[in-house]
Amino acid sequence: MARIKIDHTKCTGCRLCEIACSLNHVGGVANPRRARIRVFREGSICFPTIAGPFVDAACTSKNDLIIGDQTYNMCLICRASCPEKPFFIEAETGFPLKCDFCGIPPSPSCVRWCNSGALELIED
Amino acid sequence: MYGWTGRCLRVNLTKNDFQLEEISQELMNKFLGGRGLGVKILYDEIDPTVDPLSPDNKLIFVSGPLVGTGAVTGASCNVITKSALSGTIACAKLRGHFGAELKYSGLDMIIVEGKAEFPVILSIMDDKIVIKPGLEYWGRTTSETENMFKSSLSDSWAARDTYLLSIGPAGEKLVPLANIMNDGFLSVGGAGIGAVMGSKNLKAIAVKGNHSVTIADGNRFVQVVTTLINKLNTAPLISQSVSSWGSAFLVGLCNQKGILPFKNFQSSSFDKSKHIGTEALSSAFSLRSRGCFACPIACIKKTDVNNSLFKGKGMAPTYMAIGALGLNCGITDLTNTGIANMICGEMGLDPVAAGGTIATAMELEEKGLLTKDSLKLDLRFGNGEDLIQALTLMATKKGYAKRIGQGAKALAEEYGHPELFMGVKSIPLVPFDPRSLQGMGLHFVTSNYGPHHLYAYTFFDEVLNIHEQLDPWTTEGKPEFVKRVQDITAVMDSLGLCNWPLMGLKFNNLVPMINSCLGTSYKAEDLFRVGERIWNLERLFNLRAGFGRKDDILPERFINEPIEDGPAKGQTSRADEMLNDYYNIRGWDEEGRPGSKFLKTLELESRDGKNKD
Repeated sequence: MARIKIDHTKCTGCRLCEIACSLNHVGGVANPRRARIRVFREGSICFPTIAGPFVDAACTSKNDLIIGDQTYNMCLICRASCPEKPFFIEAETGFPLKCDFCGIPPSPSCVRWCNSGALELIED
Repeated sequence: MYGWTGRCLRVNLTKNDFQLEEISQELMNKFLGGRGLGVKILYDEIDPTVDPLSPDNKLIFVSGPLVGTGAVTGASCNVITKSALSGTIACAKLRGHFGAELKYSGLDMIIVEGKAEFPVILSIMDDKIVIKPGLEYWGRTTSETENMFKSSLSDSWAARDTYLLSIGPAGEKLVPLANIMNDGFLSVGGAGIGAVMGSKNLKAIAVKGNHSVTIADGNRFVQVVTTLINKLNTAPLISQSVSSWGSAFLVGLCNQKGILPFKNFQSSSFDKSKHIGTEALSSAFSLRSRGCFACPIACIKKTDVNNSLFKGKGMAPTYMAIGALGLNCGITDLTNTGIANMICGEMGLDPVAAGGTIATAMELEEKGLLTKDSLKLDLRFGNGEDLIQALTLMATKKGYAKRIGQGAKALAEEYGHPELFMGVKSIPLVPFDPRSLQGMGLHFVTSNYGPHHLYAYTFFDEVLNIHEQLDPWTTEGKPEFVKRVQDITAVMDSLGLCNWPLMGLKFNNLVPMINSCLGTSYKAEDLFRVGERIWNLERLFNLRAGFGRKDDILPERFINEPIEDGPAKGQTSRADEMLNDYYNIRGWDEEGRPGSKFLKTLELESRDGKNKD
C-alpha cells in the first residue's frame, strides 16, 4: 500500500504542496482553500496535514501532543474535517475533499513538488 | 485575465473610506504588475517633491501577477512609496506569505492615501474590508502585534490563515530607518517605508481570502514548474549552499575576495573568518529553514527554538545582517549580531540602514569627533552591547539616541564630517565593498533606490560566476552588464518572483513559466524592454524629485583611499569613470536625463512641473 510519509522537521512551510494539489485537481486554479493538503504552523514548526475523514461532530475530549519540550494541540495534526476545524471543504459546493493520491498508480503532485524532503511516497 | 486579479483597493485614511477599482489590461501589459505597476501609479499620482511623511504621499502594496500561482518563488509583494530616508522613490520587497494571501483576497494592489486621525489597522478578511481602530496595538513590537491581532479573532483556525504586516515602534516614531515586518520576515530594501506607514497612523494590514488565482494553461504550467523545481534541486549552489545556510554562505566567500567591509568600510579583510563562517553560524543558531510562499529554495533560517536567548523568535542573521550589523560595526560575535537582528525585527528597523548609521557613529567616536556626552551612549567598534543598546534607543527615540535615529548622513553632517557617511542618496551601503566589485559600485551610484544589491544582483556573475565569468576588478563591459542586470531585476520584481532562482536558472528558463501562466507570448527581449521602461520611469521620478548626476556619486573613501590590505589590496572604485558610458548605454544625456525622443520609444512620457491630478 502506498503511503505519504510526512517529516515535519524538514517542512519549510512554503506551501508548494497546497498549490500543486489545487492545480492538479481543479484545472488551472491555484487556491490553497481547495487543496487536500494544508500546512499548519505552530511557532517555527510546520505540520503538513492531508485531508482525512469528514465528520459532522467535533471530539468531546481534547488531546495534547508533546514534541520535544513543546506541547501542541493535537487538532493540529488531526486529518479529520470537523465543525471545530472546518478545513478540506470546497467553499462553493460544501463538498468534502479527500486525498486520492492523484490517481492510479499513485503519484501525488504534492510529493512531486516538495523540495524539502518533508513529503515522501513510500510503498510497504 | 490570468494571473492578475485585476482589482485594486484604494483606501483613504483621512476620509476613513475605501473603494475597489479595476486595473486596466493595458497598464498590466505595459508594466506587468508588482514593482512596475506600483511605480507607474506613484509617478502618476503624487508630486515627487512632496514631503514623504505628509498625508499627500501614498503607500502602495502590490503583488506581481505570478504571486500565488505556484510559480517557483512567486511570493514577493512590493511596497512602493517616496522614501522618508532619502527622498527618492522607495521599493521594499515583502517576503513570506503576505503577497500570495493578498492575491487570494482578490486584490493585486492596495493604495493607501491620507492620514488616519488615530492609529488604525486595515483588515481585509474574506472580502470584508474594515478600517479598525488600533490604539491598543500602538507601541507594540511587531510579533506582539501579530499575536494580539490573531488572538483577537474569534476563530482560531481562521487566524492561522491570516497574514499580517506591521510596523514596530520605530515606524510609529517616524524614525526614517524604519521598515515593515510581516509574518516574522523583515522586509528587505526600502528603508524609511515604515516611517511613511507610521505617518499615516497605519499600524498593520491583515489579509485572508478564499479567492482563486487562475492560470491560462494549467497543464503546461504544472509541467514547466515541475521541471524548474527539479532543476533548482540539482543546481549545486542552491542545493548545497543556499538551502543550507541562506545568504550567509556568502560571508566566507566575500571575505576571501576582499569584498566584506570591516569597521565602516575602513578595511576589507578580516583574518578571523572562522568566527563568522557557516560552521560558526550553525553552532550559534541551530538552523531551521523557512520558505516564502511557493519557494523550493527556502533560504530563510530561523533561530533555534531551544536557545534561551531567542526561543525561536526572529530569523538567524543573513549576509546583510552579519555584514551591516556585525562586521561593519566591528562585531565578530555572531550571537550579538543575532540579537541585534532580532531587535531590528521586533522594532521594525532596517538592519542595513541602522547598522550603517551605527558604524558611522562608531567611526566618529573612534576618531574622537564625537564625545560620549554628546550622545550619552558608548559606541565602540566591536562592542556588541553598545550596538544592542543603541538599536533599542534609536527605535524608541529615547534620550539622545534619537539623533542617531535620523540616519548616518544626518549624523555625519551634524558632527561636521560628511565624508564619514558611507552611502549614496542618504542611504547606507549594503556590505559589499564597491572598490573590489566594480559592477556593484556602478550599480550603487546609479540605483534609483539607493545603494542596495537588491535591485541588481551583479554579484551572481562578479563573485559567483554563475552565468558568465566576470572579473570583479575590471570596468570593461561593466556598464552594459549593470544595465542588463538592473532591467532583469525590475522584471523579476514586477512579476513577483524572487531573484535567487537565477543562482540556478537562466532567465530564459523562466519565460515558459511566465507565458503559460499569463497566457502571453513574451520573449525574453520583450520582458527586458519592460524592465528598461520601469527603470526609466523610476529615474524620471527621481529627476523630478530633484536628484541627478550630482547624486550619482560614491563617498570619497572609495575613490581616494585604496583598500589597505587583504586580497583586494590597492583597489579603488572607478564608478565615476564608467558613469558616462552607462548614461550613454541607457540612452540618457550627460546629466543622466532620458530625452523625450528616447522615452517615446519606451512608450513613456516625461512630465514637467505640474501633477496630472
